[in-house]
Amino acid sequence: MDFPSSLQPTLFMTGPLGLSNVPDMSFMCSWRDALTLPESLPENFKNEAPHLATGLLWEPETPGPLPLLPPGPDPWDPGVTAQDLLFRGAFPFRRRPQAVLDVTEQLSRFLWDHGDIAFAPLGKLMLENFKLEGARSRSKKKTVVSVKSLLQDLGGHQPWGCPWAFLSYRQRRFSIIGGPVLGKSVASLLGELLHEELAMRWEQLLLDDAFTGGALAWVPGRTPQVGQLVYPAGGALDTLCFQEVRLPPGGHPQALGDPGHIQLRGPVRQVVTRTVQGESLLAVRSDYHCALWKVSKQGRAAPLQVLQVGKGATGISLSPHLPGELAVCSRSGAVCLWTPQDGLQQVYKDPETLVFCDPSPWRWADFTAHPRVLTVGDRTGVKIVDTQGPPGCGLLLFRGGAEASCRRGERVLLTQYLGECGPEPQLPTLHLICTQFSLYLVDERLPLVPMLKWEHNLPSAPLWARLLPPPCPGCPRPLLLGGQGGHLQLLHLAGEGASAPRLAGPPQSLPSSSDSLSAFPLLEPKSQWRLQERLKAPTIGLAATIPSSASEPVLSLFQLSAAGDVFHQHLHLQADPGPHSRAPTASWTPQATACCSRWLKALLDVPPTPPVWAAPTFSHRRLLGCMEQRKVEQKGPEGLRAAMAAGRLLRQKDVGSPPSAGPPPAPEPGPEDELSARLEAAWQGRMAAWWERQQGRSSGPGRQPKRRKRRTQLSSTFSSLSGRLDLSDATSPPHSPDRASPEARPRPPVTPPSQESTQELWARGVPSERQQTLRDYMARLPLRGDAPRGVRSPLSGTSSVRATRSRPQTLQDGAAELPPRRNTRRGAAVSSSQTSSVRATASRQQALRKKPRMGF
Amino acid sequence: MSDFSEELIRPKTEDDQEESCLFSGTGMSFPWLQKHIGTVATGGKKEKDFAQTTNACLSFIQEALLKHQWQQAAEFMHSYFQILEDSDSHKRQAAPEIIWKLGSEILFYHPKSNVETFNTFADRMKNIGVLNYLKISLQHALYLLHHGMLEDANRNLSHAETWRYGEKSSSQEVLINLIQAYKGLLQYYTWSKKKMELSTLDEDDYAYNTASQNMLNHSWKTSVNLCALIQTPGVWDPFVKSYVEMLEFYGDQDGAREVLTNYAYDEKFPSNPNAHIYLYNFLKREKAPREKLISVLKILYQIVPSHKLMLEFHRLLRKSEKEDHHKLGLEVLFGVLDFAGCTKNITAWKYLAKYLRQTLMGNHLAWVQEEWNSRKNWWPGFHFSSFWAKGDWKEDKALACEKALVAGILLGKGCRYFRFISKQDDEVLRKKIKQIKKSVKKHSIVNPGL
Repeated sequence: MDFPSSLQPTLFMTGPLGLSNVPDMSFMCSWRDALTLPESLPENFKNEAPHLATGLLWEPETPGPLPLLPPGPDPWDPGVTAQDLLFRGAFPFRRRPQAVLDVTEQLSRFLWDHGDIAFAPLGKLMLENFKLEGARSRSKKKTVVSVKSLLQDLGGHQPWGCPWAFLSYRQRRFSIIGGPVLGKSVASLLGELLHEELAMRWEQLLLDDAFTGGALAWVPGRTPQVGQLVYPAGGALDTLCFQEVRLPPGGHPQALGDPGHIQLRGPVRQVVTRTVQGESLLAVRSDYHCALWKVSKQGRAAPLQVLQVGKGATGISLSPHLPGELAVCSRSGAVCLWTPQDGLQQVYKDPETLVFCDPSPWRWADFTAHPRVLTVGDRTGVKIVDTQGPPGCGLLLFRGGAEASCRRGERVLLTQYLGECGPEPQLPTLHLICTQFSLYLVDERLPLVPMLKWEHNLPSAPLWARLLPPPCPGCPRPLLLGGQGGHLQLLHLAGEGASAPRLAGPPQSLPSSSDSLSAFPLLEPKSQWRLQERLKAPTIGLAATIPSSASEPVLSLFQLSAAGDVFHQHLHLQADPGPHSRAPTASWTPQATACCSRWLKALLDVPPTPPVWAAPTFSHRRLLGCMEQRKVEQKGPEGLRAAMAAGRLLRQKDVGSPPSAGPPPAPEPGPEDELSARLEAAWQGRMAAWWERQQGRSSGPGRQPKRRKRRTQLSSTFSSLSGRLDLSDATSPPHSPDRASPEARPRPPVTPPSQESTQELWARGVPSERQQTLRDYMARLPLRGDAPRGVRSPLSGTSSVRATRSRPQTLQDGAAELPPRRNTRRGAAVSSSQTSSVRATASRQQALRKKPRMGF
Repeated sequence: MSDFSEELIRPKTEDDQEESCLFSGTGMSFPWLQKHIGTVATGGKKEKDFAQTTNACLSFIQEALLKHQWQQAAEFMHSYFQILEDSDSHKRQAAPEIIWKLGSEILFYHPKSNVETFNTFADRMKNIGVLNYLKISLQHALYLLHHGMLEDANRNLSHAETWRYGEKSSSQEVLINLIQAYKGLLQYYTWSKKKMELSTLDEDDYAYNTASQNMLNHSWKTSVNLCALIQTPGVWDPFVKSYVEMLEFYGDQDGAREVLTNYAYDEKFPSNPNAHIYLYNFLKREKAPREKLISVLKILYQIVPSHKLMLEFHRLLRKSEKEDHHKLGLEVLFGVLDFAGCTKNITAWKYLAKYLRQTLMGNHLAWVQEEWNSRKNWWPGFHFSSFWAKGDWKEDKALACEKALVAGILLGKGCRYFRFISKQDDEVLRKKIKQIKKSVKKHSIVNPGL
């Protein structure tokens, strides 16, 4: 083989990443590669100089890619975003914003929403210290607490957020004694786990390397115009599809018939194909399995072997030299050579990274020009390993360090062998190495010194690259680089044999699927948002082909998104448009927009994602029927808000004239039994069974009459309210409407406080002995509401029921007058300014929220 | 708890120079992290409008460049110059380099740009932010060189060479060395032009004397210029090549040898195959003893066993008297054919077929077996599959015959490649195939007893 007779001058420095005082030789731009040193004789200057492919451009036919296949039947959800994970508050004295994981928020959300999971085990442990029944009987033991009275004290309202809220002695004692146990164990144990999980999710959000290499592959068919796309489909990406595609000369690719599919047991992460010695092979990597198929000339896939990777596979590559040979690497740091006939041969194993310490378990392996030599890569570098040599030794091909003038924090994201099998292998010794900043081409005969470096500046992680054959003889080869965010860059790679590889012309960017938005008709906001999210779905695979028969070079490019959509685009090579012609801007053709509309129609027919999780709507206040009824008055909350805004105590005059009320009604026995039954079930960890039973009972015939009776009583008394009070709501399974569409998240609470004639509401008929209770209640009022937003009817229902026994005529207003509930689950902004000030207090006092709470 | 998590995520150092990239807990930096934070951060120190517009402008320029819209990029560039007035001193200091990078790229490709525009731009940029003077001068000179304007390039380099700013830092020193080396290269070009002229002149001519005098001057200057750089570790192929050529011309063989030996064997340098090739070619020109040549190529063989010089190496080893050289000769041939790019090298196959026979006749079956043992499980699939038998026969019958012979010797008569070729009926090659069959029968290592 020829080695370039003269290489570009390069400074060689050894050292760590980001060595700053080295003059970076790659500070030059893409035109640096266009510069050629006059090799032979000065006379040749004039002839050589203008040899520059400035006009080299692949012109896209449409402004954005088009959908190739109708959307799948499974709905898609973008999943966790930065908003879900990061602390949203501000750090006032920072030079620049930083990412801070919002563990507190997540933890408190978890405690609110899944208190049963968080506290039930503890509850079980402390069972003997609690008394669940027989509220009135006094226990001799000091260590036994009556649950019922405790709950009564809590009154259904957490006094968190308000430092002046009233605490009963019982509560105080319980807090002081139980606090360290409950608080510590939950916060330390759960908090640590949660933090770990959040950190993992965050890392994944920043870089999801599972799909490195890409999950989309093009298997050429018998004729150049026909081929197969192989990709995963289905919500879990566990169905491997084989879609035959025809590439008519000059036209858009057409999907032929329905795809064939193979159901797999895990999500497909990487699909690789190669045709070696006339034999087409297909390798698939899942999280813990790798599988190999042979694709017949007719395009049918026959399974050859499946391999289980215990620690998790991170990369698979097919040998370009020997049919059916693969390199597999696992998280444990092992690299194996795998052939269906001979099984596995461990080639390399090192749990440590190559150059310096990096925690990532990501490993990669590929082949080299020598069929028995592999490259082994991790985040810090790439090594050449001889499979026949003594284990563990090898030569570093690429080092994350000063040799390649790497930046600080630079890591290898992808390595790929660019040579391929063929009668005339081109670039048989070149390896592509991608980091988050740059792209390097390294020749395995000259390790450590990159032959070419290009700062790609992609705004997302470049995880796939495809080198295509030259579109016409003597043309530079297109090298496609794809980022996770759908960003695409195309480089023109020239130089073979005796000349060093270089960029022929400046690289270009290609449209990504979010550029296609303009091809779709305008929709109502919700659908538009859905479409936008769908188009923005991260890319997980890239395939490209140049059908050789076309008269004019055409590049067909396919992209697979995480939502399972395959988009394609079509590019023409503009060889030399002349110095003054400008690239014509592509526009949408009627066919393209029609295609998009069809696709959109199918997309909107797919039902939206069911909510991942919905808040439970049951509240112990409703179940604990003995709770005191309140009458709601107008002046109280107002005074309270004013007091809270000013940060002072609530005084008598703030809440107006002392109210009078009748004696507290006796607790109803029914719901109380329900409570203890439920608590008991919760302690024993059989909450789910209880709930099932409960649901069954509530819908069953035995339960119904009682409910109905209550309901008729209610509706007869407050007929105007019955429209709102739907009791079926109270027993229906938990459902929170805001999960259905994430764009509806920052919604104000259901009812804004109406400022209507209710002044005399509690001025009338509140007995003096109830005044204090009422005041206490008022003190906690605006901050209460552990009930999820949007499910107010059962709560308001019960409380108003009790309130209106004595004062039927005011209830309607009372129900409408409930102060705006703070949405604890989402922390969404509440419309009125008072509540937002409450919010501010609440967030300052987040620690208070971690107060021991009973496990449900 | 938020403080704890902050610790995990916060950047390792408060390095202000790296505004754009942020680090995660693993020490990896993510250029796209800022985007994620941007969706969340509501407070904190907000970016000023000025910074916002310049940042937006920068991304517009980059986008236009990647879409080859030079005209548009130039228009945006016009607005981007405002960054030179940024109140943030870090940004202001980093600005000239960015402007140079983008500006030179636009001017390099812009259809209406010409050398004059580029010169004006480069000259201005050199004096904005003194720290970039050397870099820009060097690139400017390269640009001129590329456009064939040697004199302008030379003038530029001479200016840059004498430029000093503050304490001479190591990076400045390297850059100055590089500038001097390029100057030396330019002088080499003039020198080699003169040499060409000289070769047309008669030795008795009066002009000859002055011309040769000129050349001597040049050579002396050039050696000064080139010397410093090629001591620094790096890949300096064009400089070393031209320097050695000049030294050789003036009969300084020892100097040339020293330069080349240092370039090839200094451990601080990367293992550049060209360094060994240059040394080998020099020694060959010098008519160095075979031993010497073999020792040079032995090292090249270790670095690049697939190089085309390996066939020459094999010839040298074959001619050598030493037994271990003969053994190495076989190893080298096998080594060449291991590589994907060399599978169609008919010379290598021819050599191997011939040498295998020769080795086996010399009763060195053990050598062949030693080489074959590590290859017997993959060479049959790699070289001797029926796919290649068909393909080779169709494309290159001579190659197929050589390969068939090797396959027959190594794998026996039963091997698919050999069977396929031996079954072919070809008028021209009938005799050859018959010979192959005979050789295989005689030499095959599969059943050596028969």
